[in-house]
Amino acid sequence: MLELVTWPRNPWSVFDELESLQSDMNRMLTGQPTREVGRSGRAWRRRSTYPLMNVWTAKDGIVIDAELPGADPKDVDIAVQGDELTLSGKVNAVDAAEGETYHRRERPAGEFTRTLQLPFRAEAGAVKANYKNGVLRVTIPRSEEEKPKKIVIEA
Amino acid sequence: MADTQVARKEEQAVERAPHTVNETIYAPDVDISENSECVRLVADIPGVDQKGVEVTVENNVLTVEARAAVEPPEGYEPLGREYAVGKYRRDFTLSNAVDTEGIKARVRHGVLEVTLPKREEVKTRKIEIEG
Repeated sequence: MLELVTWPRNPWSVFDELESLQSDMNRMLTGQPTREVGRSGRAWRRRSTYPLMNVWTAKDGIVIDAELPGADPKDVDIAVQGDELTLSGKVNAVDAAEGETYHRRERPAGEFTRTLQLPFRAEAGAVKANYKNGVLRVTIPRSEEEKPKKIVIEA
Repeated sequence: MADTQVARKEEQAVERAPHTVNETIYAPDVDISENSECVRLVADIPGVDQKGVEVTVENNVLTVEARAAVEPPEGYEPLGREYAVGKYRRDFTLSNAVDTEGIKARVRHGVLEVTLPKREEVKTRKIEIEG
């Protein structure tokens, strides 16, 4: 006979809270911000930030990678307005099938929205996005009128 | 612990690995579910394609190893980093109920899905009541 154990939806939430309490205490005691590391050790940010992003910049634009494993590109909205980028959508919003019992649910699931302030006004019409292997890469060029202009000194 | 439980051992793996190899290894987030036919393991491994994953079974330990291959954009300088890109690894102890010959795995959109069928003799069967 099989014995089934059902885990709470996020059995780690209690540890997350302890961790956050601990880091708050450290901050109070040392006056230093502590680096908040996720459970897997990969994330520099708390798990409440979703999706996690890596950002690169150059003179004429910015590139943003967002980790969205399992997302259907149809379910992800990318909006650029002025100097703000907003990613929203849903991931892994699948309920257990009939007769299926979850033992462990660690993967983030549900709806998300995250807004990022860009260091410049974007050329919204020229934004490119590419979704590959669970990573969304958004390339945002700087708007033409904001690009630094070289002034020629007249002799 | 329950018979069919796929217990996790990744703490040991994560602690052990950095001492033997010169890189950090990360444990992916997983969902584990089960129905009467099989156990399903789903792991988030963003940045990994089909070729970058290795799933092995040895002595009833299922090991998932993967390497993310995300090239930084050319001509750009890093500005902010919220996550690291590298190697994933996590070990799971299988129960005897799993038919290790029938394990299947696939990767899509940075998610690994491993299906572990149960052996015939442990599958839940509905018994018809005669009468």
